[in-house]
Amino acid sequence: MEALESMLYGFGVALQPENLMYVFIGVFAGTIIGMVPGLGPISALALMIPITYAMNPASGLILMSGVYYGAIFGGSTSSILLNAPGVAGTVATSFDGFPMAKQGKAGKALALAAWASFIGGTVSVLGLMLIAPLLASVAVSFGPAEYFALMLLGLSAVVSLSERSLCKGLIAAVFGVMVSITGIDRQTGTQRYTFDSLHLLQGIDFLVVALGVFALAEVFVMLRAGRDAKTHAPQALGSLKLSKDEVKEISGPVARSSLQGFIVGVLPGAGATIASFLAYITEKRIAKDGDTFGKGNIKGVAAPEAANNAACGGSFVPLLTLGVPGSGSTAVLLGALLVMGVTPGPLMLEQRPDVFWGVIASMYIGNIFLLILNLPLIPYIARILEVPRPMLLALIIVFCMIGVYGLKFSAFDLYLLLAFGLVGLLMRMNGFPLAPMILALILGDLMEENMRRALQISGGDWATFIEKPISATLLSIALLSLVVPPVIRRIKRVRSTRHRTV
Amino acid sequence: MKRLNINQVLAILIAALSFAYLFEAYRIPTFPIPRPVDSDVLPKVLGFLMLGLSVWLFFERPKGAAEGEIVEERGVLERWLPVAVTAVAIAVYAGALAWLGFVLASFLLVGGLTWYYGYRRHIVNAIVALAVPLVLYLSMTRLMDIHLPAGILPF
Repeated sequence: MEALESMLYGFGVALQPENLMYVFIGVFAGTIIGMVPGLGPISALALMIPITYAMNPASGLILMSGVYYGAIFGGSTSSILLNAPGVAGTVATSFDGFPMAKQGKAGKALALAAWASFIGGTVSVLGLMLIAPLLASVAVSFGPAEYFALMLLGLSAVVSLSERSLCKGLIAAVFGVMVSITGIDRQTGTQRYTFDSLHLLQGIDFLVVALGVFALAEVFVMLRAGRDAKTHAPQALGSLKLSKDEVKEISGPVARSSLQGFIVGVLPGAGATIASFLAYITEKRIAKDGDTFGKGNIKGVAAPEAANNAACGGSFVPLLTLGVPGSGSTAVLLGALLVMGVTPGPLMLEQRPDVFWGVIASMYIGNIFLLILNLPLIPYIARILEVPRPMLLALIIVFCMIGVYGLKFSAFDLYLLLAFGLVGLLMRMNGFPLAPMILALILGDLMEENMRRALQISGGDWATFIEKPISATLLSIALLSLVVPPVIRRIKRVRSTRHRTV
Repeated sequence: MKRLNINQVLAILIAALSFAYLFEAYRIPTFPIPRPVDSDVLPKVLGFLMLGLSVWLFFERPKGAAEGEIVEERGVLERWLPVAVTAVAIAVYAGALAWLGFVLASFLLVGGLTWYYGYRRHIVNAIVALAVPLVLYLSMTRLMDIHLPAGILPF
């Protein structure tokens, strides 16, 4: 009952005309940005931060979360129409979505994606509403040692997903922490790595780094590749309607994928991409017609779409209740909240219920808006993909510049943006994952603060981190999350080599 | 002599940066009142951690083409020239922003880069390059009270 009352309060916030407008703008902008290949939700969120500066935190987060799930939603459009996923979370959608488009069923594939996303999104909002307050009530008992351990777990979970190289994931994370501690140490007032520059006293703003390594680096990657996303001309859309049999066929996969996606989304480090691939693989394995996956099977579109949107809502659970983002996108959201003066965490439920419940309620409304946008407007929205690539790239650069310049009105930040753009390009070229870096950049400062506070309380005794049961458990999981995946990969490799030899 | 692979080159660079980072870490002054963890502890830990990771990277075998790595056969100059031109344009924009003003500087940046990237409909380019910065400028300065440099323009 309490959840229902809180939800009604949330609707009171979300249904205010101003916030309704922000939900609409958020999902609309997110859908369009998500559709543009290469511009993922992180870039979309980073580009939105300057706009939310002067806004009330509830409205700001409503707008940004709209952009986030709108981008995931919109990513499916370019996946289906152009086989050019706008976001990583919709790559799995293209496996069957693009073959459907080639068969002249693009409209059906888009409609399937819209409905599956709607259901996945709604399931995740329900889950968020029920689970988040429970988790927040547990998290209130967390002290600095527990928080430090939790942040380390979030970071190690993201690093552990660096499939290409654990070493490079760790280097990216350490680099992120290094950048985060630049400036005046808040506890002692000592300057660290400022090189006597006044511009660095307040540290390096995360927006400069986020826009640099994501948006600007993306522009550099595209320029370097000379890529043209319009390698495939859009096909005829066909009908948007689903038959009764089709609805029956996808109902099971959508329900399963929504639940699975939500759970995956809640786990730190996992996210929409993993959720969508997991759902696709699961459905392919259990389907009787599994061999038709990849050739235009409707379940192959519905399952990953339901999962990626459910994961998107799920990722708000650790962010809102623990103040620990589980992914790069939610890390940017955390940064945006901190800029607006709101600290997410267990106390947010009591201190800022308007932000907490307002955002959750706005997600219900946002999902309906997305459905309204994505069904009838599909043919029109798809035309945004016709914006000439040269113009788009130049405009993205100006958006980055204005976002960074608006921080301190300093040209120095623009040079820093350029530097981080080039760093981001080099990182991507050499297989260094960006998510651990951005997460470490945001968590680094907080982690150090909590670590020092815990040691202050314990009188400098480092054993405090392993003496407290919650902290010890979290640290053990953090260690396991780093050690186990490479061990499993090695075992698999050895087995497959043996199998081949036999 | 055996040629170094990309990971080894990167590892040497990262190790050099780690040494520089550690050198600076040891120059961080001590806080007058004794504390369990002073300001220099984390930088030192990070420096040594990065150094250790660079050693690990040195012995790690590179794994194929990374994201953003170009597999197609394009010349080095052809690949890097657009990046270099864009970087120089951004640097010039940063330097000239206060003097030229946001609208004019952004007009030149958007219009110039769009042209350089290969768009040849000059009138459309000029309209977009002027309209977008102007709308952004007016909405930020008039509606959101965010100051942007007017430069040589009178408004």
